Amino acid sequence: MTRVENVKERKPSPLSRFMPDEMAKRDGAGAERTYVGEVVESSTTELIAEARELHGGPSFGEFIRIEADLPVLGIIFNVFTHSIEPNRRPTAYGKTEEELRLEQPQIFELLRTEFQALIIGYLDGGAPVQILPPQPARIHSFVHLCTDEEVRAFTGNDDYLRRILNTSKVPTDELLIAVLRHTLRAHKHSRDYLVRMGKELSRLMGDDYDRLSSVIRRVAN
Amino acid sequence: MAKSKGDGATAKTRGEAIGVITKGSLVEGLEMKLDSAQNVEDMKAGKFVVIEGDKNDFFSMVTDMRLDAKNQEVLLHPPGREDDILRKVLAGTSTYNIVSLRPMLMMPKGAVDDDGPRPVKAIPSHFSEVQEAMEHDVAKIFGKEGDPEGRYFSIGNPLDMDTQVCLDMIRFAERSNGIFGKTGTGKSFLTRLALCGLIHYDKAVNLIFDMHNEYGFKAMKENGSSSTFVKGLKQLFGERVAIFSLDPQSTRARGVQADHEVYISYDQITVEDIAPLQDELRLNPTAVESAYLVYAIYKERWLRTLLALEGPDVEEFAREIGAHAGSLVALHRKLKRLENFPFMVSKVTDGDVVDRIMEYLDKGINVVLEFGQQTSMLCYLLVANIIARRIHEMYVKKSERFYATQRTEDQPRQLMITIEEAHKFLNPTAAKQTIFGTIAREMRKYYVSLLVVDQRPSSIDDEVLSQIGTRITALLNDEKDIQAVLTGVSGTEGLRSVLASLDSKQQALILGHAVPMPVVVKTRDYDTQFYKDMGCLDDLPEAERKAKIDKGTVALYGDN
Ligand SMILES: Nc1ncnc2c1ncn2[C@@H]1O[C@H](COP(=O)(O)OP(=O)(O)OP(=O)(O)O)[C@@H](O)[C@H]1O
Ligand SMILES: [Mg+2]
Repeated sequence: MTRVENVKERKPSPLSRFMPDEMAKRDGAGAERTYVGEVVESSTTELIAEARELHGGPSFGEFIRIEADLPVLGIIFNVFTHSIEPNRRPTAYGKTEEELRLEQPQIFELLRTEFQALIIGYLDGGAPVQILPPQPARIHSFVHLCTDEEVRAFTGNDDYLRRILNTSKVPTDELLIAVLRHTLRAHKHSRDYLVRMGKELSRLMGDDYDRLSSVIRRVAN
Repeated sequence: MAKSKGDGATAKTRGEAIGVITKGSLVEGLEMKLDSAQNVEDMKAGKFVVIEGDKNDFFSMVTDMRLDAKNQEVLLHPPGREDDILRKVLAGTSTYNIVSLRPMLMMPKGAVDDDGPRPVKAIPSHFSEVQEAMEHDVAKIFGKEGDPEGRYFSIGNPLDMDTQVCLDMIRFAERSNGIFGKTGTGKSFLTRLALCGLIHYDKAVNLIFDMHNEYGFKAMKENGSSSTFVKGLKQLFGERVAIFSLDPQSTRARGVQADHEVYISYDQITVEDIAPLQDELRLNPTAVESAYLVYAIYKERWLRTLLALEGPDVEEFAREIGAHAGSLVALHRKLKRLENFPFMVSKVTDGDVVDRIMEYLDKGINVVLEFGQQTSMLCYLLVANIIARRIHEMYVKKSERFYATQRTEDQPRQLMITIEEAHKFLNPTAAKQTIFGTIAREMRKYYVSLLVVDQRPSSIDDEVLSQIGTRITALLNDEKDIQAVLTGVSGTEGLRSVLASLDSKQQALILGHAVPMPVVVKTRDYDTQFYKDMGCLDDLPEAERKAKIDKGTVALYGDN
């Protein structure tokens, strides 16, 4: 890598509170990072975790780490909030959340935020490995957001992109773009990094030039 | 992608990686995929690169380049100007550059120095790395100036490099050589450089037929609209160069005193000297035959006798000797033009000029024959022919004596004769009649070779061209000329494009006997630094200058 150029200096947007650095601030400058969720369903390729707080799940495309002997790494591909009672759907009240919290706080107790993550690798002795882990994450283990440093270390090599492109869970390109935007941020919006990623994508997408250019454009702006 | 060879020792010996070999054949040359970090605009035709194979290094020349794309979509919807990132992403993945390389020499890795480069008989394997050539790569192939034998003479730098490309002057002197190029591309400068090399390293003595007065003393150098003067051989080498002049007045007018004025008497001209003028004089073959008839009777006085006749008497004369009247009249009328040349005299007073030239050449003094205002082709052809023919005769005698006695002191000094507008002497018809055709064909048997300077090599006889050892070629556009320069050279496909894409000044492709592989050079500057390198005596104080010359004389003729 030669010179690090910044793609664009961003001003905080309403969205930015979903970005990890903003979250770290929320958590008290990351001094003692707390977990964001707890695993409730787990397999080799993906997992579901319950967020510690209602509406407090990680953002779409964010990198997470699940505590274990060989910590498992994943990316969020779905976040959803629903009623904890299977047969009861929340009903519309026609009030703001604030009003509701004052008048009917109990209804929020019946809601849960959960998120789904695609497993993309694990850490072996701290070193990132872009292979599915030998054992899935354990139920009840805690989920943490990856630090920028961890993201940088993991994305130093671009093989994980193939894993994302091969999933059929969600609109792949949307996930890809979300992940790349997080990655790029962790790499301090380095232009060189973006170009490198782009080249890898170009190889992976083969002849699909339209798709490539749309992804690159949406990641970069 | 750009793999930098950072680690210790290798960093110094190998150039920067610029791509990998992807395709190719021994016959057609190789293709390299350019590293996406490289700019295709840096890959100029003629650039010198090294391919690092598993067992050999291949020294190669860039001959062509091509833009390529993996799929047509990209070409139909190219990224916009502002879409810089996408452009960069596509570079090297969807869009890429292919550079054609022609391997010219190969050298086993880790070979010791005297186990030098050899012809290419293999090709490197897939994905062999291609690297920028380094100074020592160039030196390994072309040698370096300053060797004890004085073998290597730097003629310029490889494209975009700062090192010397040297001619092997021993090999250069061994054969006839050619300097070609369109007008204004630097032929005269190249010639002057080559002559300086020959004189400085004393590898041959030169006889230069200097049609435009640009070798002896001062020559013009155009700098855009203005022009300055550069030094001539006489100024650089002093007493080792003698100026003979056909037009002493003009020579004086340029501030030089000619060492000798040249006069030619009618008796010195033979029919062989007239025959090559057929084109210039528009003579038909029967006219030449009539000339032979006159010669048969009057011997060396034939021309004098013929020209002494007045118009009406010629027919009478023709009847007497049994020649065709019409032809002889035409011959007479046309040869009358010779009487207009101021250097033609009925009797030479201070000795035969050819003997004088020979004396100088024997002493190792180079002779520049200036034509002054006498710039007609007729004059140039006539004089060069007369003089060269007789010099050649003398050299044949000397060589035969040497072959008989085999004594080293009888060995003639290698002579190189420089002629401009060479195609006038060496076109297919003239080459059979002029002495120059003979010299070119008989090779170095008699210690005489040619340095032909020409802008239309395609007009030169094929057989002569094929005998030309080293070809130094500046820009040529005409397809025929390019073809001609490359006759008898194998693997020329790539060189064509290289030749046609040279700069219009001070760039040349050198190929043949004096260089191990074809190479494009930026010609060495002919400037004050060069004068110094040639040990120019001009600016030295008189005493020192004398001392140097004396030393040179001892070196040249031995101490006697
Ligand atoms: N080695 C050199 N050093 C300095 N200048 C050069 C050199 N080579 C060429 N030039 C420049 O190029 C110009 C033309 O060169 P030159 O007179 O040798 O061309 P040419 O091919 O002999 O032309 P012509 O066909 O008219 O005789 C020179 O006047 C000079 O400015
Ligand atoms: Mg010239």
